Amino acid sequence: MGKQLFRYSEENKERFLDSENITFNDGSVVTPEEIWHYLTVEAPVKYPSAFEINLYQGNRGSRDETLPTSLKTRYLGLTFSARMERAKDNGKSIAFIQGGQAVDPYTAADTIALRPGLVNQWNNGLEYGNDINKENLRRKKSKEKAFHDMSFEACQTGGYEHVQAGNLRIDVIAPYTVLRCSDVSYGVEAHRHGPNKDVKLLNVDFPLRNQADKPWAIEYFAKNLRRLVQTLDEVTGRTTTEGDLLQAIKLHNEGRRLGTELAELWWSADIPPTNSDDRASLVSLGNLETHGDVQASLSVLKEAKKFIAERVKNGVKGHAVIDNPKRLFILGSCVGINGSRSEDAGAIVVGRDDQWSHCSSLVEEEGDPYYNLAKTTLEYPYEQGIEKRAQWTIEQIKKSRADGVIFIHNWGCNTQAAISRPIVDIIKRETGIPTYIHERDLHGLRDEQEQNRVNAFIEML
Amino acid sequence: MSIKTLEIVRKRLEERPEELREARKKGQKVVGWTGYNVPEEIIHALGFIPVRIAVGGDDRLVEVGARYASSKTCVFIREIVGAFAENEDPYIQQTDFLAFDATCLQNYRAAEVIEYFFKKDVVVLAVPRNFAEDDAKTYFVHEANEFTRLLEERAGIALDPARLAESVALYNDIRKTLKSIYTFQAAKDNVISWEEVYDLIQAGELLDKHEYLSLLHQTLAELKERHHNPVIESDDGDSRIFISGSLIPRGDRKLISIINSVGGRIVGDDLWSGILPHLDLDIKEISPAGVALGYLNRTPHAALPYLNLESDRRLKKLHELLSQSKAQGVIYHTLRYCDPFTFKAKETKNVLAKSGIPLLEIHTEYAGSDYEAMKTRVEAFVEMIRIKSESVQEEAA
Repeated sequence: MGKQLFRYSEENKERFLDSENITFNDGSVVTPEEIWHYLTVEAPVKYPSAFEINLYQGNRGSRDETLPTSLKTRYLGLTFSARMERAKDNGKSIAFIQGGQAVDPYTAADTIALRPGLVNQWNNGLEYGNDINKENLRRKKSKEKAFHDMSFEACQTGGYEHVQAGNLRIDVIAPYTVLRCSDVSYGVEAHRHGPNKDVKLLNVDFPLRNQADKPWAIEYFAKNLRRLVQTLDEVTGRTTTEGDLLQAIKLHNEGRRLGTELAELWWSADIPPTNSDDRASLVSLGNLETHGDVQASLSVLKEAKKFIAERVKNGVKGHAVIDNPKRLFILGSCVGINGSRSEDAGAIVVGRDDQWSHCSSLVEEEGDPYYNLAKTTLEYPYEQGIEKRAQWTIEQIKKSRADGVIFIHNWGCNTQAAISRPIVDIIKRETGIPTYIHERDLHGLRDEQEQNRVNAFIEML
Repeated sequence: MSIKTLEIVRKRLEERPEELREARKKGQKVVGWTGYNVPEEIIHALGFIPVRIAVGGDDRLVEVGARYASSKTCVFIREIVGAFAENEDPYIQQTDFLAFDATCLQNYRAAEVIEYFFKKDVVVLAVPRNFAEDDAKTYFVHEANEFTRLLEERAGIALDPARLAESVALYNDIRKTLKSIYTFQAAKDNVISWEEVYDLIQAGELLDKHEYLSLLHQTLAELKERHHNPVIESDDGDSRIFISGSLIPRGDRKLISIINSVGGRIVGDDLWSGILPHLDLDIKEISPAGVALGYLNRTPHAALPYLNLESDRRLKKLHELLSQSKAQGVIYHTLRYCDPFTFKAKETKNVLAKSGIPLLEIHTEYAGSDYEAMKTRVEAFVEMIRIKSESVQEEAA
């Protein structure tokens, strides 16, 4: 028996066609008509798993047909793999980076920066026709390669399975090392024993422990950023100037500002204007790196803000959101809950600390751009010590009017797991909001056991 | 084998907690330190009593620690956190404040968790990942100066360069003597075992440094008297084992006892809890910066990533120590969730295989439940080495 697939309804087509084009980094443009055709004709054939109506899907971000930008983020997600392949064919340089970092220097150096989730997405999109279970099996198989060559206790594997044991054309592995994660730094090191000798390796050394007030730490990280840009230039053959970095900072500041405004607009609404997944996919556009194309993200973000403002003004409720849902705030790196099932259980996700921390950190535009970028990076709230990070998190929880907090860590993520309890301890003490800590498997489908716990928490709320 | 000084060392260790109690009554402060790059000489020169926080082997404490630092943290760190939670360890009880470093990020997290839950004053020394780069060294010098400033605040005095010079000389002498003693354990017809030397090294983490040096000199004198010409070579039927990987702190002797029980002879190690930190420490300048750079320039800890396999000094050192000790095989010890070493297990195995040295990874934690499984694997490995060694001897004959 065939799988039941979601289809976009023709009745919303006209409204969608009235929306704006997406403009890409290379100046090319895709029209709403082309997007509609892709989502309704091409994509269901190529990626049936993305359209499968399945409890374990975990995301129905594409199902709000009356929110055009939701469909556009879906389009950008589904075309990601093809766009990255095309970028490589056109000689574009691609770097592997860490999650939770801004990408201003990579943009300045004309390099596409992909965090682990996006590298996986690129790989996932290379094979067509899979249903959700086959797709999951394929991902697990791919991850096993990295576990075999590194450690089965790894959470993040630094893209090893794709760059060394697989076939993704990544030019340089250059993340901000130990920013919120230790596995990525070991993962970067592991590339030294892999068969792909062409890939360049660089640790952009993010120093730990309350460093933002230390001038020498800022200087040190700024030098690391300079080395990063030099390394990226060695790949591209161009020369990136301080002026280029300043332009990139300005561009990304625009994204960060818009992302922050969008999030605050969403939080200001009495009725949630989107469901959990749409909220996440639109707010995360603020970092401009989500789809491997800064300009495309920016153009969708600008349009999204207008749509959300309209919805907030008119009291429009997001797709499949129930009345008065319990508001959840999610903490932790590279994590999330099954949005649709949590909504079915009576909740909505109103915020996350991951991705939001650096989206809400604007970079000073006057003075040495390397120094300014280094200083802002060292000030990321998510990277601070327990007390400071918890206080910032509490502010976000209050702004979002969350009813409950879930700190999730992936199996093997000892850097976040180790401080999960003190963080929620402070939140509970200072806000009285219920919290719980949840461990999950990064590489699997979101299963019943996990959802049982989430649902029990929602029920308790 | 019975080296008499070792008995004295054991006795002095029993008396040490009470001694620390008395010293504190007289106003001295005890600093509990942990971390590969903590410059202990600076702590000592400021008049503090340094004791290393390194306990292992107690599964119950690991469980206690997991309540605070999660079950995904490495067992060693979990046990340390558990020990602070219970506060029954006689050395932890005596600490006035703590000095941790961020070489291993889990060590850094432990500092944060202990600070938060147990209200301990912790001074943290940040450590650069790009340790081999000049700008990383400049950064580390700043960090070492800041670390010293924070210690000075707690000491209520400024660091006296003359006192620092004395401490450096004392520690240099300790390291030199330990290296001499270490040679005896690997020798043919040895009169001291690796296990005894290992315990002796770890005794130095707790005893008064002047007294410790004197005990080391005494031990060395005894060894020289009993073994005039220590030559490192294989005894007939030896299975010479080298231990590498995650640290094996005080209280954890599971793997060591298994190796012994199946007839393996340990002849060397490159453990953070063993001889490695005492090797190649060259302090070129008497200052916090000089001491800190001496530490950073040693054989690096596995927690610090290094991106070129060919010039990796950690692997070069491993080869050098294997050659010196004439070890025939490596047992690579990895603790549950000890990422710095688990990530490198297969790579190290492949690198050593090119030199014809077999490696067995033993991945374990402090529970006793895997004892027999470990024993079976270690026994097979030791037997394989013995057979290989015998066949080489037969061929030579």
